[in-house]
Amino acid sequence: MISGPVPGRRAERLLAALAIALALCAGRSAAAQESGLQQNGAGWGVQQLMRELGAVKRSQARFVERKYLKILNAPLELRGTLTYVAPGNLEKRTLSPKPETLTVEGDRLTMESAARNERRTLRLQDYPVLWAFVESIRSTLGGDIAALERFYRVELEGGRARWRLYLVPRDPDMRAVISLINIGGSRDRVERIEVQEARGDRSVMNIYEQGR
Amino acid sequence: MTFQGRLAIGAWLSFVAACIFVVARTQFSTDLAAFLPRAPTAAQQILVDELRDGVVSRLILIGIEGAPQDRLAGVSRELAARLEHDARFAYLANGAQDRLRADGEFLLRNRYLLSDAVAPERFSVAGLRAALGRQLDLLGSPLSVLVGPLLPRDPTGEFLHLLEQLREQGGPEKRGSVWFSRDGSRALLVAQTRAPGFDLDAQEQAQAAIRAAFEQAAREQRADAARLLLSGPGVFAVSSRAGIKRDALHFSLIATILVSVVLLIAYRSVRVLGLTLVPVASGVLAGIAAVSLGFGSVHGITLGFGATLIGEAVDYAIYLFTNASAASPPQATIKRIWPTLRLGVLTSVLGCAALLFSGFPGLAQLGLFTIAGLVTAAAVTRWVLPELVPHGYSVKSVDTLAPVLLRLIAHGRALRVPLVATVLVLAVWLALQGATPWNDELSGLSPVSSSDQSMDETLRKDLGAPDVRQLVVVMGDSEQAALETAERVGVVLAGLQSSGVLAGYDSPARYLPSVAAQHARQRAIPDAGKLRRNLAEAVAGLPFRAGTFAPFIEETQTAKRQPALMREDLHGTALALKLEALVAQRRAQWFAMLPLRGVADASALEQEIARLGPQGVVLLDLKRESDALYQGYLARVLKFALLGAAAIALLLAAALRSLRRAWEVLAPLAAAVIVTVAILIAGGDRLNIFHVVALLLVIGVGSNYTLFFEHRNMANASPERTVTSLLFCNLSTVIGFGVIGFASTPVLSAIGSTVAIGAFLSLVFAAILTARVPR
Repeated sequence: MISGPVPGRRAERLLAALAIALALCAGRSAAAQESGLQQNGAGWGVQQLMRELGAVKRSQARFVERKYLKILNAPLELRGTLTYVAPGNLEKRTLSPKPETLTVEGDRLTMESAARNERRTLRLQDYPVLWAFVESIRSTLGGDIAALERFYRVELEGGRARWRLYLVPRDPDMRAVISLINIGGSRDRVERIEVQEARGDRSVMNIYEQGR
Repeated sequence: MTFQGRLAIGAWLSFVAACIFVVARTQFSTDLAAFLPRAPTAAQQILVDELRDGVVSRLILIGIEGAPQDRLAGVSRELAARLEHDARFAYLANGAQDRLRADGEFLLRNRYLLSDAVAPERFSVAGLRAALGRQLDLLGSPLSVLVGPLLPRDPTGEFLHLLEQLREQGGPEKRGSVWFSRDGSRALLVAQTRAPGFDLDAQEQAQAAIRAAFEQAAREQRADAARLLLSGPGVFAVSSRAGIKRDALHFSLIATILVSVVLLIAYRSVRVLGLTLVPVASGVLAGIAAVSLGFGSVHGITLGFGATLIGEAVDYAIYLFTNASAASPPQATIKRIWPTLRLGVLTSVLGCAALLFSGFPGLAQLGLFTIAGLVTAAAVTRWVLPELVPHGYSVKSVDTLAPVLLRLIAHGRALRVPLVATVLVLAVWLALQGATPWNDELSGLSPVSSSDQSMDETLRKDLGAPDVRQLVVVMGDSEQAALETAERVGVVLAGLQSSGVLAGYDSPARYLPSVAAQHARQRAIPDAGKLRRNLAEAVAGLPFRAGTFAPFIEETQTAKRQPALMREDLHGTALALKLEALVAQRRAQWFAMLPLRGVADASALEQEIARLGPQGVVLLDLKRESDALYQGYLARVLKFALLGAAAIALLLAAALRSLRRAWEVLAPLAAAVIVTVAILIAGGDRLNIFHVVALLLVIGVGSNYTLFFEHRNMANASPERTVTSLLFCNLSTVIGFGVIGFASTPVLSAIGSTVAIGAFLSLVFAAILTARVPR
């Protein structure tokens, strides 16, 4: 693990602590929910979709993310930009309510918060749940079906013009936190990512592509 | 055979029978701690106790390497699964999180008693508001999936605070959810045996269990190329024991065979050869029996020393046989040489007496062993052997060897001046070396090879095990008293940590706070009504849904009433092991240990600790302390060695009734000691306690040569026979000790090579400086 300045180190420990906390919660989780996903017809399928997504080498977008948390009486709303550069580089830059940048490069995840003067870098391999979470987005954008399949049972609904990917975590520890990730799009664009948490919380990110 | 002879043989046979009886009942030990000094101060005693049977001594560090990463991770998981329920291990960890779950549950359930952040301000309106603000920030970050579920129960973040503190102690990196070295080439595990570190049989079994489980795990994971690395005090002790056993057996055997061959060539009689070994065997038996009676058990190294006894005790018989001839029957011969022989034995005994008082139980054993062995061998030579030698026996090779030797000695006189000059130069050189040639670290005595030590260091670094060099030791009359003091010290250390004096510390009070501290935390929690009011005020204006924190109110109130945690409550968690490692009861005193990390300013630390008051708080620098311990003993051994040398000089002066004669006997020995030390240092050895002991033996053995060379002896006896006997004696001594010089156990090899060199030089120097060949 590579650490940044001193405050970052503290935050990194917190992350590690959270990973343990997560493992703890996993013990009490309910079984994963079964979803009745439909397999679509022949001709166009996951392979074709992935090939098309993988052909995009670079994309830039705005995003609006709303987090519906049971303990909050109003959703948290985050706005910012998303940048993807093949293969495997992803940047999520939150502009409001507090500036924060999340970068994924290969096996490294970096979080930077100007407000808290924090920067921390960690290896995804060390945090399996975060890794799986990151891959749901990155592997979809990269069209890497093998990586997706490694973490999720993948099902596709719809057609080329309007499709939906349903990702159900394979790992029980992950399933105890996230029960379903639902990614919607059109042709080679990802437009919406919805994350269903096992405890009923939910977040929806709408993505507006701006350029390639 | 005379009546007296029959009596002597009868007495000898019953003595041997008694010795065999004792030896058959003897316990043999290989506990290397016997070669650690007995500790004078309480702090040093803690150190030695920890080395012997502390939790640290039970740790086995495990590394698996040599296969692809995912295979290694698989082997690690499989190995852990196989050993998890093995009764030989108290604890086994590979970093997999399911193993941490029990700890997490314990921490979560008892967070309000365990967290040192619990204080009245924590539950005030301001305190709660600050905590909630922090939590809200986290909810906006990608970490919300992880933080969210616990928030209603723990808005003040006590659980995370506890986890952070534990995490602060450092831990290895993970790949595939198990521990790996930083470069990812080695999977890591830690095991702790139930048996103490000094129970080497149990340690050996535990290590065998790990090896067997690894074989199976590697086969199952198809990782045939994977290698297992084991390290830790118990692992070292077991392999040292195997080394000592091997050394003791092999080198005694080799020395016996080589000496026998030399003597067979000299004697050309199997019977006489057999007789030569009679005093040696009797001496070894008597030595073991004496140590067994005196110490309750005999150490493996002492037994290995039996080989050195062969080298010296065999001399006595050689003097007898080589000096006997048709003209001088054995009884007459022994009577003639006995005064000189007796003086030689007494000198050796005085030299070894220094060992008895060295303070090392192991060295004291060596001393007693040698004294009993030599006295017995001499007595058997004096009273039993002459009865058994065939009448008219004479060593034939005297006629061929003696003229050559005598000529050499005659020429040797010319070397006197150059030799004295050389010795003086070397003495000055040694004096200029000062203290540098001395190895003043306790680790210099460690039986562990340097390659094993560096592997241990690598594994420890990989595992992120804190480098416990400095620690604060707190003493108390009870466990609670020790924990309370540890908490007071902890407050000071936390202050020093934030001011950068040290990077961190650990404390047993983190795992088990004192009852007083737990009660104080319970008092810090407001009652349900007040807490609800404070919380309502703190939440105002924040987007938290009403009633969200009901579990918080409920759980704090449960914590407020729960009974204080005791040691037993930690059972089954890794925290119990940490606690056990940091709190110990010895001799009705309780000790709590607070290991320190990254001390940047040692003097500031010392000042602050000193300010805590003198009673019961000690700042311990393990390295410094253990080296001081060793230096104290080195000084002590040196003192006794000098006393031994002085006693030998006095004895010689008294026995020879002439200072001049005593000087003639001692001068070659002094020269031999100086040149031997110079050779050792020039060869790159750093001198330790064992070398000092060996130099004493040089004086003991060498004095025999010089005594026989001394002119009145040479004049009284046949010079031909004297020089021949000295050659054989020296040859057997050099072989006996020289062989041991090749032993892998440092004690044995240091003594072996030093005595072999020293004994040889003693003879040569005695021939040059002392011998006067009558014409």
